[in-house]
Amino acid sequence: MNLSGLPNEMRKQLRDSLIWYALIAPTFILFAIFVAYPTIETFRLSLYREVATKQEFVGLAHYARLLGDQIFRSALLNTALLGAAFLLIVIPLGLVLASLLNNLKYAPNFFKVVYFLPQITSSVAIALIFGYVFQPNWGLLNNGLRALGVDPLPLWLADPNYNLTGSRAAATILAVYVALGYYMLVTLAGLQAIPQELYDAAVVDGANFWQAWWYITIPNLRPTFVFLIITGSIEALSRFGDLYTLGGPGGSPARSLQTIVMYLYQTAFESNDFNLASATAVLLFLIMLAVTIFNFRALLQREFSRRD
Amino acid sequence: MSDLTLSKTTAERATLANFFRSHRRSTQFKQIVILLILGIGAFLMIMPFEWMLATSFSRSANIAMPRVVRFFPADPSLFNYQVAITNLPLPRLYLNSFIVTAVATVGYLFFSALTGYAFAKGRFVGKSILFLIILMTLMIPFEVRMIPLYFLIKEMGLRNNLLALILPFLAGGFGVFLMRQYISTIPDDLVDAARVDGASEFTIFWRVILPLCGPPLAALAVLSALWRWNDLIWPLLAISDRNMYTVTLGLAVAGRSQGTYTGSALANAALAIIPITIVYLLLQRYIIRGIAMTGLKG
Repeated sequence: MNLSGLPNEMRKQLRDSLIWYALIAPTFILFAIFVAYPTIETFRLSLYREVATKQEFVGLAHYARLLGDQIFRSALLNTALLGAAFLLIVIPLGLVLASLLNNLKYAPNFFKVVYFLPQITSSVAIALIFGYVFQPNWGLLNNGLRALGVDPLPLWLADPNYNLTGSRAAATILAVYVALGYYMLVTLAGLQAIPQELYDAAVVDGANFWQAWWYITIPNLRPTFVFLIITGSIEALSRFGDLYTLGGPGGSPARSLQTIVMYLYQTAFESNDFNLASATAVLLFLIMLAVTIFNFRALLQREFSRRD
Repeated sequence: MSDLTLSKTTAERATLANFFRSHRRSTQFKQIVILLILGIGAFLMIMPFEWMLATSFSRSANIAMPRVVRFFPADPSLFNYQVAITNLPLPRLYLNSFIVTAVATVGYLFFSALTGYAFAKGRFVGKSILFLIILMTLMIPFEVRMIPLYFLIKEMGLRNNLLALILPFLAGGFGVFLMRQYISTIPDDLVDAARVDGASEFTIFWRVILPLCGPPLAALAVLSALWRWNDLIWPLLAISDRNMYTVTLGLAVAGRSQGTYTGSALANAALAIIPITIVYLLLQRYIIRGIAMTGLKG
């Protein structure tokens, strides 16, 4: 490398940097090819339209079309509803299980292994099994409910309506079943990081179990909850594999389980409209960004204002 | 201290002993209640798996299903498994999944550690901006760049090639970030001593740094393996040849196309789940520790 045109000190600095550039180069080349290029290309494709194998600039036309598209809007609603229901159930339930596990002396490891099992075997495998578990006539769940005397039996995946025994409820039960062990483990790690002295001091001050729980446990778990809500929201927004296994890219029955990513997949690889699908991808990106920023501001506001 | 103990009256000792006994009884009762609740939960967690096995071994499961909960098949038979192995070339799918997971994970660990080392211990022009770029890649979900990536792989002639499932995942922002954080905690003295001895930066990385990075590497290995093994959307795009399917892809496609053949579909699921479960039970300590350490999963 010819650096003779530069001042001496700068030349030495750059020469010393070279070895480090060599070490990080492979990663940056991989990022350039597989991350940066496709991302920029997605944005570009979303502004074009294919006319007789030629790309023609159409501006924001695809975005206007998406926002007026009933199917896209219902996919957006499904994604939001399923995500919200999932987080509202799995975080409190994970907290309860983690608290119980934290107080258990015998075989805590056994329960960790069992509760985490569905996470390992992939949501696709679990969704395949649950497709049959939810079968209304002879599925495991309804056979169990029948034994308990429930009548009439829920239709689960055969019912696309908005109710607590329909397909969306089934999809939420599935998601909670798969993810519960993970939420429990992360919450447990948060619980175990709370210093025991805080509880000892509370006992000295005469606090009972519930007071200690409300004034020590919950506030100290705040970072854990923030982390779980932020990563959980992103994951819920990109939900695909389990619902594809249950109801195909259309999210049957009656598109009740179609998420944004499934809509994107169907638009691109079944309707072959890659430009419209790219616009969907950009919108998904913007939604994720907005939700993450909102979560940060809403959940960490107290931390920021406290520092002022 | 001993004076205090000696000065206790018999009555005081009796109340103390009583207190401890009743305390022990109440904690034991609490333990039983906790065990009971967690036990019911564990039963509910395992039941779908048990039901899958029972149904997959039932000869009549493709025709008629019982309307009661059965934990043992009334008509045990291997028939569904015979159907299942003709449905999908499962040994081949396992080999594919194994190659993809192993190669992608080894590459991911290597590039994460190498780049993390440069950002933790290196001094070079533009370091903070370059690190910011690494962090920015974390903001871009895979789904957002997947369409151009599909065309790229097609242009490269890599459709139906396992390399398509490996190359895009060799380097990742999260791995670099985690390794940089960990390597930053290793004392500079170690690196400087090796440098004085005339070791090159790569030798220092390979001989000094890497052997100290066991915990984060194990955690990253678990994550990468889970991500690669369980991925569905990308194999769905990149692979259409049945012989190149991964286990997860085969399961999603075969499971869907079988529709009502409950017994053989669940036999397929069992064949996909059982080997993973065995690996999981063998490695559970490392997997659970890794998850708790990074707080991320598949």
